[in-house]
Order: sequence, then C-alpha cells, then structure tokens
Amino acid sequence: MPTISIKKKDLESLIGISFPLNDLEHHLQLVKGELKGYEAGTDELKIELSDSNRPDLWCCEGIARQIKGKLTGAWRDYEFFYSNGCDRAGEIIVSEEMNKIRPYAGGFIATGITVDEEMLVQMIQTQEKISEIFGSKRRRISIGIYNLAKINFPVHYKAVGPEDIRFIPLGFDEKMSLQEILEKHPKGQIYGEILKGMPKYPILVDSKDSVLSFPPIINSREVGEVKVGDSELFIEVTGLNIRLVLLVLNILAVNLHDRGAKIDMVGVEYPYDTEFGRSISIPYEFAEHASLSISDTERVIGESLKVEEITSLLDSYGHWVRMEGDMIYVTPPPYRDDIMHPVDLCEDIAISRGYGNFQAVMPAQMTVGALSEIEKFSDRIRGYMVGAGFQEIISNILTSKEDNLYKMGIEMERVIEVDNIMSQSYSVLRHWILPSLLRVESASSESFYPHRIFESGEVAVYDGSGNLSSSTIVKCAALISHHTASFSEVHSILETLMYYLQMDYRLVPGDHPSFIDGRMGWIQTGENVIGLIGEIHPGVLTAWEIHAPCSAFEIDIDKVLSLYQN
Amino acid sequence: MIQEDLNSMVESLHPLEINILFVFEAGKAVDDNLLIKEASIEQSQKDMAIGWLLAKGILSVTGETVARSVVLTEAGERYFDLKIPELRIFQSIKANPDYSMSDVKGRDDIEPAEISSAVGLLKEKGIIKVAAGGRLEMGDGSLISGFEDIQRLISIVREKREINLTDLSENEQSVIEGLHRKRGKSRGIFRVNEKTDRTYALTDLGTNIHTAVLQKGRPVEEISQLTPQMLKDGSWEGKSFRKYNIGLPPPRITPGRKHPYKEFLDNVKYKFVAMGFEEMRGGLVENEFWNMDALYMPQFHPARDIHDVYYVKEPASSKEIEEPFKSRVSDAHYSGGDTGSRGWKYHFDIEKAKRLMLRSQGTAVSARTLAGNPKIPGKYFSIARCFRYEQVDATHAQDFFQIEGIVLGDDINFRTLLGLLELFALEIAKAKEIEFLPAYFPFTEPSVELHVKHPKLGWMELGGAGIFRPEVTIPLGVNVPVIAWGLGLDRMAMVALDIHDIRDLFSGDLDMIRTKRVQWR
Repeated sequence: MPTISIKKKDLESLIGISFPLNDLEHHLQLVKGELKGYEAGTDELKIELSDSNRPDLWCCEGIARQIKGKLTGAWRDYEFFYSNGCDRAGEIIVSEEMNKIRPYAGGFIATGITVDEEMLVQMIQTQEKISEIFGSKRRRISIGIYNLAKINFPVHYKAVGPEDIRFIPLGFDEKMSLQEILEKHPKGQIYGEILKGMPKYPILVDSKDSVLSFPPIINSREVGEVKVGDSELFIEVTGLNIRLVLLVLNILAVNLHDRGAKIDMVGVEYPYDTEFGRSISIPYEFAEHASLSISDTERVIGESLKVEEITSLLDSYGHWVRMEGDMIYVTPPPYRDDIMHPVDLCEDIAISRGYGNFQAVMPAQMTVGALSEIEKFSDRIRGYMVGAGFQEIISNILTSKEDNLYKMGIEMERVIEVDNIMSQSYSVLRHWILPSLLRVESASSESFYPHRIFESGEVAVYDGSGNLSSSTIVKCAALISHHTASFSEVHSILETLMYYLQMDYRLVPGDHPSFIDGRMGWIQTGENVIGLIGEIHPGVLTAWEIHAPCSAFEIDIDKVLSLYQN
Repeated sequence: MIQEDLNSMVESLHPLEINILFVFEAGKAVDDNLLIKEASIEQSQKDMAIGWLLAKGILSVTGETVARSVVLTEAGERYFDLKIPELRIFQSIKANPDYSMSDVKGRDDIEPAEISSAVGLLKEKGIIKVAAGGRLEMGDGSLISGFEDIQRLISIVREKREINLTDLSENEQSVIEGLHRKRGKSRGIFRVNEKTDRTYALTDLGTNIHTAVLQKGRPVEEISQLTPQMLKDGSWEGKSFRKYNIGLPPPRITPGRKHPYKEFLDNVKYKFVAMGFEEMRGGLVENEFWNMDALYMPQFHPARDIHDVYYVKEPASSKEIEEPFKSRVSDAHYSGGDTGSRGWKYHFDIEKAKRLMLRSQGTAVSARTLAGNPKIPGKYFSIARCFRYEQVDATHAQDFFQIEGIVLGDDINFRTLLGLLELFALEIAKAKEIEFLPAYFPFTEPSVELHVKHPKLGWMELGGAGIFRPEVTIPLGVNVPVIAWGLGLDRMAMVALDIHDIRDLFSGDLDMIRTKRVQWR
C-alpha cells in the first residue's frame, strides 16, 4: 500500500495544531499510518498507509482531516455536496459509444486558491497514488487536472478513431495522433495496454474542439498543464465504475476545499443509465446509510459501551450519527465508500477509542491441541533418521526444471509449472526430494565426510484426476556420500527405518535414469510402490558437480501412512 | 615449574615414554640405536614415544648423523642371478662370430630397453664394434673388466644385504655413484638409503621428570585398555590404569541432527499445540477461489495480479468450485448475500476463481478449514509454505513459511482477540511489552497489528490479526465469530540462527547447517 511523502508543517497547518514527532506517530493510528521516517532538514515525513479501501487517507489533507476531527471535534461543512445540482458551473456530455469503451466520467471546478509549489507536489502525488494503486494502474481510475481558464464548457467525452484527432501531449512539442501517442509517448507505452483492442479511443474536448486529454493516457500540453500561480482548476476523473469515479472526485474536492478552495459543481449528462441516473451533479454525495445495534456492537467489541460514547466515537471519526432506541444510524462522510457491513463501523469505534484503551481478555473456551497425523508420522521418521546419524536438511520447494529433472537424468515428467515465470530458477514445484539433497552435496564438497543427510518435506505431484490437478504430499529422502558410499549402506538405513515403522517391504530391481543400472530398486509393500533406492548415477553426480559417490532412497510418507493406517 | 604440574606430567606419561626415560642418565646423550636395544621396543614405538617426549620438552636433540647404506634394487637382484646384460651380450659375441644385432633383439632374457643401453655402452667403450648387416664384432676384449667389477660389487652387496657406503673401497663407491648418474634411479642396480641417526639428552625439565620417574620406579604393569578378557578372568585386579591426558581435544564426529530452522519451527509448533491449537494443512497449489475469493478479496484487488502471485501453467484452472461455497461466496461479493453486507457490487467471474496458482497466503488453509465443518469452539494453526511473485534477495525467498491460524467460538470478540495476541507475544516472543495498532487486511474487521518488544530485536511487528468479516465466515457455513491471525517469525528465526540473509534459512551449505546452533535465549 502507498507510502507518501508530506511536509510536517503542511500537515500541522491543515490540522491547526503542531506536534512533537512522538505524538504525531501516535495520532497516525487513526489513519492506519506508520511513520517510516522524518527528515528534519526538508521537514519531510514518510508515512505508509495500509488501508487499501481508504484512498481518502493517502494524502496530507486526508490524514489531517481524520486527526483534526478527533482532536478538535471540528468537522468542515462540505456544503457543496448539498446544493441540489442547481448551480452547475459547467457540463460534461458523454457520448453513447463510451458505454463500451470507458463508460464513466465526471468533474468539478475549484477556484479561489493560488496553486503553490507544495500544493502542486501534493496534488500530483495524490493523483498518482490513487490512479496507480486504487485505480489499478489507471485501468479503473485516471485523473486529469486542468487550468480552467483555457476550457470552454461544455466538455465532450467521446470516442474517436486512432488517427481522427491530433494534439500536442504533455512532454512533447508536436501534434501527434492518438495512435502515435500510444506508440511513441512514454505514457502511451506504459498505459496503452488498457485500450488494447478497442476500435476507438476516449477523448475529452471542449466546445471549441480544443483537446483536454486522451484519458487514461495523457493530457494535452495546452490545456492540461497546471502551473504554480494558477488559481482556477478543472478536475476530471474517468473510469470503469461509477462509484469509484464519484468517490475519487469527492476526495479530490474535499482535499481542495480543505486548502481553502471554493468548489463548484459540474454536471455530467449520460445517454445511458447509471446507478445514479443519467444526469449527475458532482461532487455527489452518494454514501449509503448504515445502521448497527448497540448489542451487535457490544458483541463485536466485547465490552458494553454507553450510547453517548458510541455516538461520540463515531462522530469524532467523521460520521454523521443519529440514534433511535437500540439502533444507531450512520451516514459515512462523502469521501468514504468502505462501510460495507456494521463490523466496519465497529472497527471505526475501536480505532476512534484507541486500541490501547481496551482491556485484553483471554478466550476462555477449552480446546485440545494436536498435530496432524501426517506431521506426527513425519516427525517419527525424522526421529529415526536423526537417530541413525543423519543431518536434517530443509529446502525451497519452488525450483528449476534443470535441478528437478534434467540434472537427475530425467527428460520428461509431468510437474507443476509456473505460468508467469520470473526466473527459470523458480519455475516448477519439486515433485521429489532427492534433487534437494543433491543440491546440498553439490554445495558441500569441502564439508567433512562422511555426509549423511535427509529431508522430510512437502512436494507437489501432478494428479490429473483431482480438482486442482495436483496433490501435495510429504516425502522423505535420505542420502549417504563418501568415498565408498554404497547401496548396502543406505539399504541398511531403509531396513532399520522400515523395521521401526513395522512395514514389510521388498526391493524390486528396476530402471531409473538417476541411478546406476542394476543398483536401483523400487521399494514395494504388497503391490504398492512406496519409494525407490539405489546408487546415484555418475552422470547425475557429474551434472551436479559432485565428487564423491552417493547412495540414496526416497519414500512417499503419505502413502506409507495410508498403508499403515489400514 | 610447580610441583603439581610436574606430578601431573609424570602421571600422564605413556608406558613407552617411561621405558625410554629409563635408558637415560642425567647429562648423557643416547642415540637411536641404543634406545631400541635398551628399551627393547620396536622402531615405530620408539619413534612415537620420542616424538611425544620431544613435543613435551622432556628431551632435546643433541646431535644428528646421516648414515648412507647400499642395497640392491629389484634389477640388481635379477642381475645377481643372470649377470648384467653387458656381460651376457659380450659372452655371446665371444662365443659366436656371426652374432648379430637381430640375435640380441631375439633374446628373451634381456628387455628392449636394456639392449640399446647395453650395446651402446659396449660400443662406446670400444669393447665391441657393429659391422655391416648388424653383425657384432669383438673390439678390445680386455676392457670388459669394468663391467666385471660391477658384477663383483653386486655379489658383495648381495651377501651383506645392506652395506654401509663407508665400508666400501673408494673405487667401489665411485662405481656406485657413477651408475647412479648414468642409469638414473629408476633403472638402477643399487639403491643408496639415507638414515638419520639422532642423539638425545634430557632437558632441564626432562631431568626433573627423569628423577621423578626413577623415584617412582618402573610402573607395575599398567593397563592401557580394559578388555572383556580382563573382566572375565579378573586380571585387572591389583593393577593400575594408565592415566589419560583428558585435556586433549576429541576426534570430530558427524552426528545425526535436526535442521536448526526446523528445530525452531518445531518449537513453534509444540507451543501452539500446548496452547490448544490443532494443526491444519493445505495444498501448495490452490485456485484463486480458496486463496482469495473465499477471503472476500475482490477480484479487482491490487494483490491479485500476475505481478503479485505465481499462476500455474497447465492446466490453468481447476475443474470446478465446490457448491454451496461457489454460490454463497459469489453472492457475498456481489450483494453481500445473507451476510448483512452490501457486498463489493461487481459481477463475480467464476472462471477467474478457478484459476490455479501457487498458494500465496496461509489464510487459504484457514478458509478450507472454515468450509470443512470445524470444531466450535476450535483453535487451529498451520505452518504453510507460501509463494509470492517477488525478486529473490536477502529479505525475500522464493518460498517461505507463513504461520497462521483461526480461533472460533461464541466468546470471540475484539477484546479476546487482544487477549490471544497478548498470549502469543509472551509465549512465542517472550515479550511482555506489547502494543496493538489498527491495521488493514481485506478479510478481517476489526484488524490489529501486534507489535512487541523483542529481547534482542527491540520493537518489531510480530503479526497481524483480526476478526474474520461475516462475508468470509457466513458463506463458508460458520456462524460464530472467528479470529484470524498470522505471525511473521522469520526475523526471530534469523536472530535465533544468527543469519542475516533469509535465503540462508534454506541453505545448501552442509558445514553451515551442521555448525549452526539455535539460540533459545
């Protein structure tokens, strides 16, 4: 989740109170924020915000708003949400074909402030964090900020062909077609993926056909560049989900308002139905009312709280609260859309009260602890192996085909492979343990001999009949390496292990490319093959760059356990 | 030297050392030969005991002479029987005027290498000549005496087996030296052995020890190794045992042993069992449904991306999603279903839910357990291997353990959640100072981060927890509150093992694995 960089002074001036750093760190609990660092020279705070459903907190204004409410009880009146759409300062007209391309757009106007350097930096940071993280790299949300003076309303949100329109994008000096922007402009190269396969692309133009931007890719240089000293702004958001578009516009509007701007509504006219109708005036208060009962709250919190206390905790956290008997009715602030269930309000109550103000209680109900059968069985085998003088090994499960198959002399075997490979070294799940032990031998030729090592651990094997086409099982392999390591030496270990496990077994001579011909056997109990044993093939040892002979066995512990239990 | 040390040195003397010391007299030097004779011990035993005494500073070397002696080589032994090749060839030429080079080559008593060297030497000295057609003619036959001298010398050495070089005449000595130069060592007839003969004397320390040893007298027969026979016949009775120097380091062994990281994890596992938790297990491969959807993570969640998790190549999807969970979970996402939630309000994509992936969080195991008719009240834990699409470095491994679990019960609420975490802090991290911070997880509400003051690491995040959202539990058929918790113990494990790179937890370096100790304090 985002880490943002803000000025301590800026935060304090928005709150109206100055703090020592320790106090600030404490107050950051209100926003699930963690102070990552403070640079006294530049007055810069680095804060990590963890709540991915609260993008309103990913900025200086949002953090200040939450802390200020708690400390002073003073909540700003965002009266511009309630002007009933009569005073639209401009309009966006959406064309029919946008429904299939990028259906939703909206905007508002901010006036009466002068953009200074810090404010510009913060605006850009907020825009980036929201569109990258909350907006899934601009797919679901992209934001444009413009100098209002250069725009003539109404603005049209429409679709045009890749070569139909040319304009100068930010960062370039010449007019380019939309297709050229996707191919040549760095932002086009990054975000072009979003528009892939579409016959037409979104464009915002004003009533004089001057291009505002090519969302979600790039603004025009002419209109879409905000500079220090600008005092009238048009802010626009486009996206795939109307709720998210409205939420982000509301956040941006209250942010600017908190810095002293006057917010004016912009109307959007859709030719198709939306969750909120065809004509919406933005900023738009769309928060759903929520309710919770005192008893539900007590059940979640584990403590009985006075009605007044609950009310005051919710109020100081930014909610509008109304009580009726045992019920509390809550309207979340318009910059939040994360209250899905009463438990979300319970958390707000707990945070508002402070987690440190709760008395911890132990769960009192009696339960019996136990390990799983397979873990117990594996632990028994680990005990025998350690007793037999073997050093235990633990290895990564995500490995390479090279290690898992090719170095073992195996050309083809169905294994679980990764689709989105980052590195060939981590591209398959091991289906057996022996390569993990040879990995150790390969790295340990300098280590005092003899080597007696084993690992009991999970592997994933292909299983075409299962729902997930794989099953996870526990296998145990043991390996001996020294100048005269032999079949009979490792056979003695297997014999001893099987004796203590009370398993009758026999060795059936077989062929396996990892082992020397004539010195390999399948370990069978009845008709079930439960493992294999042999002297490792010199070709395999050479592939691993191992310089001493090795003999080894491997058994399927899950299978042994199932036979054991029958 | 203080008396105590002297006594303990005398006590720990080996019988061989004592034997040797009895040969010595203060102020007199003794040589190797005398030692072997007087102490009546083998050469190798003498060498060993002298070595010890020199190392302890009881004896010192006062003189060193090198004696050179001559013995026959294998070839020399053969020439004693057959005579040297030069003489044999000379005899044949003398006896047969038609004797030719090819006759020589046909002989089976002379090797090809010997032929060229022998014929060459005879020719060089002018004893024989090579005529046309390879016929060998007599030259100055009297010059053969030089070779007869060699043959005679072979007989002399043979007779004595070994003879001191100085016991031979100057002429004989130079013959031997000459042969060495010409034939080289490998094909030589004679071998000259060099033997170093040393003389030893008692040092000052040695004189003291010697006096003490003489005073003690020859030991009554000491037992060096108790044998079954002695036990049987009682012959140990009345005898003393040679005392060992127990300060010597023992030989190295390679014991059987648990892996230190597993030892750490085993301890964690036993702790949870002791706290009443039952182990749960799950698969390394999951579908997105159980890894994400069942945990109410919306399908557009930022952590559900090819840059965050590993997907499985073939087959890419599971065959089905189990009912009734499929319908209930998709309802919860869309509208909240019967959970009292308004839901995420989007259309749930079953195909995406079927996508197979490598388990990215241990909570997937908890989701399966919730759906599998868990005990109520119940406590469960798992130590689950998980995979994330991340660059591997000192703090990120390609796979790692997540220690996670759930607690189900009527009495579960925010305060009992805090109580449980307090218990974990004390039992797992031995931390008494703790702090609870608000946190965010997609599947819990309220959510808590547990920070503890670790005895070594200072303040650290030990884990995260919360109460599962009703959107998680109700669709899976659980109608009591459920705590979900997860602990991050890798940093603690790294401190316990004193390693600084997370990849070393799965190291392949056997030396490191064998020598790492788990610090429990």
